[in-house]
Amino acid sequence: MRELAYYEAKFEALEEIMSADERVHLINGTFLSLSPHRHVFQNLQKKFSERMFAPPISELGFCGLATGAAMAGLRPIVDLSTGSFIYEAWPQVANEAANAYSMSGGQTRVPVVFHLFHGLRGGGAAQHSGSPQAMLWNVPGLEIAIPSSPRDVKGLLKTAVASDNPTIFVDHTRLLDIRGEVPDNDQAIPFGVADIKRSGSDVTLIATSYTVQVGLQAAGKLAKEGIEVEVVDPRTLVPFDLATILSSVEKTHRVVIGDETHQSCGVAAEIAARIAESGFDKLKTRIRRVSTLDVPVPYSPGLEAHIGPSESRIMDAVRAALA
Amino acid sequence: MAAKKENPKETIELLRRMWLIRAFEEKVSALYAERQIVGLLHLGIGQEAVAVGALSLLRNDDYVYGGHRSHGHAIAKGADINKLMAEIAGRATGYCGGKGGSMHIVAKECGFITATGVVGGTIPLALGAAFAAKERKKGQIAAVFFGDGAGQSGSFHESLNIASLWQLPVIFICENNGYAEFTPLSAHTKIERLAQHAKTYGIPADTVDGNDLFAVRAAMAKAVDKCRAGKGPIFVECLTHRMRGHYEGDPAKYRELSQLAEWKKKDPIARVARALKSQKTLADKELAAMESEAQALAEKAAEFSLASPWPADDQVARQVTSD
Amino acid sequence: MLPNLPRENLLELCRRMFTIRHFEENLVLLHDKGVFGGHYHLYVGQEATGVPALSCLRADDYLFTTHRNHGHLLARGVEPKRLFAEILGRVDGLNKGKGGSFHSVAPSLGFLHSSGVVAGIIPLSTGTAYAAKAQKNGRLTVCLFGDGSLEEGAAPEAFNIASLLKLPLLFLCENNGKYGAGRAVAAAQSSSMAAYPLTELPKAYKIPAQQIDGMDAGLVHATISEAVGKIRRGEGPQFVEAQTVRFPGSETNWPTVPKPTNTALAWDVSDVPEKAREWYHSCDPLLIYIRELVEANRANRDEIAAIESQVKSEIAAAVDFATNSPYPKPEEAERDFFA
Repeated sequence: MRELAYYEAKFEALEEIMSADERVHLINGTFLSLSPHRHVFQNLQKKFSERMFAPPISELGFCGLATGAAMAGLRPIVDLSTGSFIYEAWPQVANEAANAYSMSGGQTRVPVVFHLFHGLRGGGAAQHSGSPQAMLWNVPGLEIAIPSSPRDVKGLLKTAVASDNPTIFVDHTRLLDIRGEVPDNDQAIPFGVADIKRSGSDVTLIATSYTVQVGLQAAGKLAKEGIEVEVVDPRTLVPFDLATILSSVEKTHRVVIGDETHQSCGVAAEIAARIAESGFDKLKTRIRRVSTLDVPVPYSPGLEAHIGPSESRIMDAVRAALA
Repeated sequence: MAAKKENPKETIELLRRMWLIRAFEEKVSALYAERQIVGLLHLGIGQEAVAVGALSLLRNDDYVYGGHRSHGHAIAKGADINKLMAEIAGRATGYCGGKGGSMHIVAKECGFITATGVVGGTIPLALGAAFAAKERKKGQIAAVFFGDGAGQSGSFHESLNIASLWQLPVIFICENNGYAEFTPLSAHTKIERLAQHAKTYGIPADTVDGNDLFAVRAAMAKAVDKCRAGKGPIFVECLTHRMRGHYEGDPAKYRELSQLAEWKKKDPIARVARALKSQKTLADKELAAMESEAQALAEKAAEFSLASPWPADDQVARQVTSD
Repeated sequence: MLPNLPRENLLELCRRMFTIRHFEENLVLLHDKGVFGGHYHLYVGQEATGVPALSCLRADDYLFTTHRNHGHLLARGVEPKRLFAEILGRVDGLNKGKGGSFHSVAPSLGFLHSSGVVAGIIPLSTGTAYAAKAQKNGRLTVCLFGDGSLEEGAAPEAFNIASLLKLPLLFLCENNGKYGAGRAVAAAQSSSMAAYPLTELPKAYKIPAQQIDGMDAGLVHATISEAVGKIRRGEGPQFVEAQTVRFPGSETNWPTVPKPTNTALAWDVSDVPEKAREWYHSCDPLLIYIRELVEANRANRDEIAAIESQVKSEIAAAVDFATNSPYPKPEEAERDFFA
């Protein structure tokens, strides 16, 4: 199987998606944030320029445009770029797109994808480091995909675009350059299917997005201490695959959850609640969350590193689960 | 020539301040290239006449709000450049203890209330300050800086409307440098001058050469007089150019080299220097000394910053909410 | 004036205006009897805008409207019984009871989505216009909203994008803010919008904009026809502000009906409570239209009364249908929120 960089897999997906379906339009952004790999976006632009629209700085306006276009039969992908900018568009995403299908009694479909880069990026400070997916999980009517690997970003993006529901596609700039195996043939990954990124029998580490990669690093180091961590990646928050997680918990009896949304009402909080509700009897110790601390993200690099779900905090939590 | 109406002694001070901003920005740029500063850095090199021209006419207790390109605004309002540079370098001795960084400068003691990383984000905030100032009746006014990119934001329009309806003492200062991030204004809107929007809401507006210190001062003098007399909001649009890219590291390939050369000829600092020379107020030697002085101060600020400690990890939990 | 249309079309417009009027008046009765809860907004007093305007559209055009949507849906041809049922939250409603008044849809008639958030639909309308342009299907989008929407940032953002992309989009702003009868057209003004007249806002983006008397069915028809023609020829977005005098029954917190409408009111308002009399006398577009039909010899009073009578029966039957329609099962709340 060939190995690709995450950004290469992502753009391979975009190219295949756009070639296969002329209803797909790209609105705003480069899907690369400030990554130096601009050439892949420019290649896409050369091929599909009539289906790519660079709007003014009007997030509310262009997220509404994308939603309306989806209602009228296009399948737009909006790049909000910095995840915190979805706050400018919140009414259109949460109050219009999310509600349209349900409140129309199932008549109006909204096949729009809202793509964003979340999380701690290194010097982003408070306003450019948001992880809005926890808040968005609390808005019924939105699907949420959150890849962590080259294979997953390609497969999930395809499903996101094919879905008739409004989908939030949660990406992370720190994933763009990681490398991984990507199958040659076209493979969409269904929503609601978690992935066991690493097998282990001692502790179940559930992680999302870039924290999956951090977790794998931590697991590698813990293996040298004789601890075998099973890393489970939900890949989508909505729909959510609880069954795979519970099977893992059945095996290990110990859970640590690593995620970059802030602790209160964060992604880890919801996952912990679901496990506690359905798998309480399988647990031998309390669930431990390793989330970003409940503070506005500080600028200084040391402070920023301190508040996130770092490798050391994850390792400490795993060891504590076994103590 | 406008310089004749200005007091030469005052002009010298203004030039000194413009040089300080220029030297500061160049120093910060050098530190960034050495990776002593991380994150996003947006420099105002070339836009010094707007900052100094506008803010030299305000009181210490007037409220000033900025955007992501606001180092110069803070300096022109009277910020301590040591604390400012230390903040940009993420040190504990910075204005915000290293928590804000370049885009979130706060220098309250001199009336620079806050900057923001969200385009146009402080415009509604400035309205609030103006509202409070109006209630307080001490003659205070508010001023907010933003770029041409903010003109397409809905909240900019909402703010113009409210400021006009309530006749708030706020001066909208638009630095129209022709680019919103990497896109020329013309690709974002059919409107060439943002002053047009102000007029739509019944707000008197002026468009001036933002690289002419005296033109900016003249427009601001009128604006400040009107505002303090309770005659409502004013809009001042300053046409200028940023000599660097949107952020440090942006190769600015979207800009014609000839355009850059054109604007170099209009360098605001050089123009003031020429004016003082032609009036025989200052000679080449004295002008050169001014430049060196500014660079020395910037150098000292850099030494101070790099010698300052990083904020301690436990600082993340402090100042999240007020005690 | 009357629209420049054949008699049968004029009578059809009359029938639709009556439909809206009697629908709304019956809705107030239903609400006051406690048959449904939740807030709702009447289109009474604006019939001469919605009905002629929407008659200029193609069957496959898109329409977006707001909380004041009953008139638009009915003008376009939605069955009154399905709309009643939706507002009553019944299973036979347009949205199976899941939307209510604010969110009633009729996709086959071009209403894909309705929003109760002021200006919520304005960005969406740029989307369907964008899609129509991309798909080259000639479909036009009409964005129907009130003067209040212009205070939301979403409106200028949408104007900018629409003008930038030359979208096939008609912005139809219904300014029902004229207070009192007999004021000149230009005197309508919003007290919470500094731009005046409102047409200055789209004009700032070089979108052609005009103000018209929304109570004049003929003027509305002619203006909208022309605007629609321009859009279909690819000239880009157009903006029309149609002004009406706010219906007295919409001035209170909860809608009321000062006097149930009937054809005879067009010539004798002595029965109307004094506070509302001037409005029915001079500002009721439906009554103005009826008078004009008669004065122009396009119809006589009896014909019009007969049309009204038929409408009233239809509405009565629609009310019956809706009140007898069952409520959806509670479990339905947990279904159908994902495609």
